[in-house]
Amino acid sequence: MASPLKHSLARPLVQSSSSCAASRVLLLPASQRFFSVLNRPPPNYEGHIPLTKVERGALAIGSALWSFRDPRRGDLIAALGEATAQPFFIDHLRNRMLLSPTGRRILRDRPRITSTTLSIPRLRSLPSNTVGYAYAAWLDREGVSPDTRAAVRYIDDPECAYVMQRYRECHDFYHALAGLPVFREGEVALKAFEFANTGLPMTGLSVFAALTLKKREWQRFWEIYGPWAVRNGLLADDVINVYWEEELETDVDGLRTRLGIEKPPDLREIRKAEREAMKRAKEAKESGTVLS
Amino acid sequence: MPPRLSLQVHGARSRAFTIRAQLYAHQRCASTSAPEIYDVVCVGGGPAGLSLLAGLRASKATSNLKIALIESQDLQKNRQHNTTLDVFSNRCSSLTPASVKNLQEIGAWSHVNNARVQPYQEMQVWDGVTDSRISFDWSSATNSFAPHQPSQPSIIAYMIENINITTTLLSHLSVLSGVTTFSPARVESIELGQETADLDLRSWPMLTLSNGKTLAARLLVGADGANSPVRAFAGIPSRGFDYNRHGVVATLRLEGLGWGGEAHKIAYQRFLPTGPVAMLPLPGNMASLVWSTVPERASRLKSLSSEDFVAMVNAAFRLSTVDLEFLHTLPEGQQKEVAWREQHTPVNNRNIPMKVVSVQEGSVASFPLKMRHADTYTGERVALVGDAAHTIHPLAGQGLNQGQADAASLVRTIKSAVLNGQDIGAQLSLESYNNERYAENNALLGVCDKLHRLYSVESGPIVPLRSLGLKAVDMMGPLKGFLMRRAAGTG
Repeated sequence: MASPLKHSLARPLVQSSSSCAASRVLLLPASQRFFSVLNRPPPNYEGHIPLTKVERGALAIGSALWSFRDPRRGDLIAALGEATAQPFFIDHLRNRMLLSPTGRRILRDRPRITSTTLSIPRLRSLPSNTVGYAYAAWLDREGVSPDTRAAVRYIDDPECAYVMQRYRECHDFYHALAGLPVFREGEVALKAFEFANTGLPMTGLSVFAALTLKKREWQRFWEIYGPWAVRNGLLADDVINVYWEEELETDVDGLRTRLGIEKPPDLREIRKAEREAMKRAKEAKESGTVLS
Repeated sequence: MPPRLSLQVHGARSRAFTIRAQLYAHQRCASTSAPEIYDVVCVGGGPAGLSLLAGLRASKATSNLKIALIESQDLQKNRQHNTTLDVFSNRCSSLTPASVKNLQEIGAWSHVNNARVQPYQEMQVWDGVTDSRISFDWSSATNSFAPHQPSQPSIIAYMIENINITTTLLSHLSVLSGVTTFSPARVESIELGQETADLDLRSWPMLTLSNGKTLAARLLVGADGANSPVRAFAGIPSRGFDYNRHGVVATLRLEGLGWGGEAHKIAYQRFLPTGPVAMLPLPGNMASLVWSTVPERASRLKSLSSEDFVAMVNAAFRLSTVDLEFLHTLPEGQQKEVAWREQHTPVNNRNIPMKVVSVQEGSVASFPLKMRHADTYTGERVALVGDAAHTIHPLAGQGLNQGQADAASLVRTIKSAVLNGQDIGAQLSLESYNNERYAENNALLGVCDKLHRLYSVESGPIVPLRSLGLKAVDMMGPLKGFLMRRAAGTG
């Protein structure tokens, strides 16, 4: 929901305190304040949980290890993203947004992507070459919904928290733009692309999941999708600065050209073709053995 | 063949015309019967030149010298007449206690319009990239274990309009009298004199003025600014470079007297990667801005409406360098954009200047920043003072003070030459002036240049290192005290 969150993410107004020393402490952003678990400061926005440095480190390590074991735990990947993005990386991403007129507009409007803000049936009715149609088609093909995104809790600055939320909610658009599926191989390729494009550490750490890929997948990652991700991630414009809500009726190829993204080979098609080839080879082998 | 030089004031004149003017000047010079002979001829009636003349007139040993002043602008017309305290000139300087002491010693300071002078007691300087900060005030700069001295100074410097300084010095000179003033008069040419039956003026500079007069100078003082014709005549090269930065100046009105009230004024300077931006206190709610920035941004700032300009100045002390970079790309509408960004940029209001509410109409201007240093300040019968000798980056507010120190030093040198019966124009007599000032000015020029370079760096390992260094200096009271005494000219 756009409006309540907009208010809750708005910074509380700074009150001038008569005591200079006290006001200096109070005015420091939470990321620079020192506190223990016994006197946790009040949240900076609704849902915010201020963490100590130790807690943040433990959260990062714990979520990293556990999500490596079980990559389907989206909540852990989200927590890993938040624990590792602060203090430097999320500011850097916000700065990239602040330097772009569209990025600034996004930060000013703080739009949210949910199934209520985006009408999926309307997107399905759009012409098939549009971004909106590609997004809806991708959601349908992968069987996912935009409502599965968790709220940001561990980023201290309200605006940076929004940047993280925006990145998270736009993740499915990146999928649709690249046409990469949600299973492990496609996700790793997209994370590599996001790391090269956004610089968020979690996306980079997620690429380590490539170590768990099967031999064929690993080979494909190194030959096709890895190089594609690095090249496109670095050379393309910042995908965080795309105002997706305004691009729904844009031609999807036109948007790719504008951003400088090449569409990688369709992973599902490649896998299907390989499966069939293997099946045929197996059949041939079996029939061969029967014949001999 | 004596060296000679024709002075072109208007660069647009055609070459042919220049040559004709030169010939004309030459003939006229030859036809005039005898030149007027002066002991000291000072070209340039700025703060340095006037301070020199006032010093010479005030000292008993030098008060018998025959002195002339040549100024191309009308000095009487350019005196400060405006006395309302809500209008200030955009060209202000920060006079150090040493400069004020010198002006007091020569007796000029009693003529100053004190209501238009603003002493300040504290200075806040911070890094625009990392926000690390240093504050200067005399109480924090002393050793906390040493007993408190009641005579401890409290004032860091005095903000004053340049026109107030020149008016003060002119008032003092008119009381002292004895200076022949040619104003407005341009120097058409300077060349060496000739030998006549009763005078050998071959080593003397002869000045031909636009009013037809010819002056011979025992000592010619160049206080004629960065493009000094006197320096060109003496053939002294001036080396240096342009910073590719412009200083944007303006007179501002703040929302209040400042966080310390009337009795404790604070100067602020934030180092942005494009250059430092400084807000210096003037009497009441007024303040003076000096914003060093790249030429494109300077011209963008000058083109803005006053509301947007005010918003940009407020942004310069509050918003991130990223926001500032974006704001400079907008042709208009900065006010709205800054209002939005201020909501999302946490700042401690007490650490930054009070908000600017308006800018004085017509006060936004800019000038290019340069670093220049003449190879030497003296030649045979020639001495250079102030901007003619050196041009400095304004980040430490030292340029005008250097000129005042030059003038005081040259007065001492001339005085000792007179007392010792030396020729005041001989290079040998002038040597002590060069010795006293050259190394000191050179060091200051170097320090300001290095600071400019250090803070131009936007990212990389230098950024955290410089913040560490700044914090270290901030914590070391005695070291800070040493730096402050050096900057005040008292240590």
